[in-house]
Amino acid sequence: MTIDRVRFDQGLTYEAYKDQMTRNRDRLEENEQRVDLSAQDLAAFRALPRAVKVLVLAEDWCGDVIANLPVLGRLAKDSGKLDVRIFLRDQNDDIMQRYLNKGQFKSIPVFVFFDDDFRELGHWIERPASVTEVRAKRRKDIFAAHPEFGSPDAPIDQLSEETRVRLQAELTKMRDETVKFANAEVVRELREIATRVAA
Amino acid sequence: MTAIAHKVKITYCAECGYEAQTLELAKTLMLEFGARLSCIELIPWEGGTFDVSLDGDLLHSMTREGGFPKPAAITDAVRARLSA
Repeated sequence: MTIDRVRFDQGLTYEAYKDQMTRNRDRLEENEQRVDLSAQDLAAFRALPRAVKVLVLAEDWCGDVIANLPVLGRLAKDSGKLDVRIFLRDQNDDIMQRYLNKGQFKSIPVFVFFDDDFRELGHWIERPASVTEVRAKRRKDIFAAHPEFGSPDAPIDQLSEETRVRLQAELTKMRDETVKFANAEVVRELREIATRVAA
Repeated sequence: MTAIAHKVKITYCAECGYEAQTLELAKTLMLEFGARLSCIELIPWEGGTFDVSLDGDLLHSMTREGGFPKPAAITDAVRARLSA
């Protein structure tokens, strides 16, 4: 399976993707508003010698899509240098099979960057490793500070409903507090791939 | 003879779209065991979770086993507990 112009053009634009979402559009658009692009990052994307094509695999139920697709959406909108086409993962398994996470997981979002001749510049999957690492540490800290949450490795159903609600609130707060870092890491990694396009 | 209440809990990642697998397993358990289970509890969670426990014992964990359980494996384990 190769990606060519015909296949690429079958994908949804960012706005068309949002229009067909059956859930989480409000969260996605809220995240879009929260993306804070630095002048340097924006300048780097605007300075791309030509528009870069970005194929996306996504689904509207996925938390990492709701968190990270808006970062790409804002980069495309604010720079005018990214041509984004979105494919639904579960209807495009041939593309998904080509970009499995660690060769086995259907993790999304997947962002694949192409030049004008559909030579792949690089691809990006799910979320930055640095974000996973920071959030894992912060999660561990939450459990250490709240012995009532038990072991971080224990099944969650062993907690009472009230304790689960408190834990979920702590995890949500932690994610909110790390959003700025996470978005900056996504931009840094996408910038590194996009700027591989030849002048 | 004292009746024992047996309870199944299914904890699923609500951010991952695992509702279909959750409902399929819950339906399988309902149809197979009816009122012999005292409760089937569905717990929406996060982080890629899909755990199934019976009376506090973990029968399946997506983190531990990888992937979703085969409903037959869960019903076999529940049947064994009910007839113990």
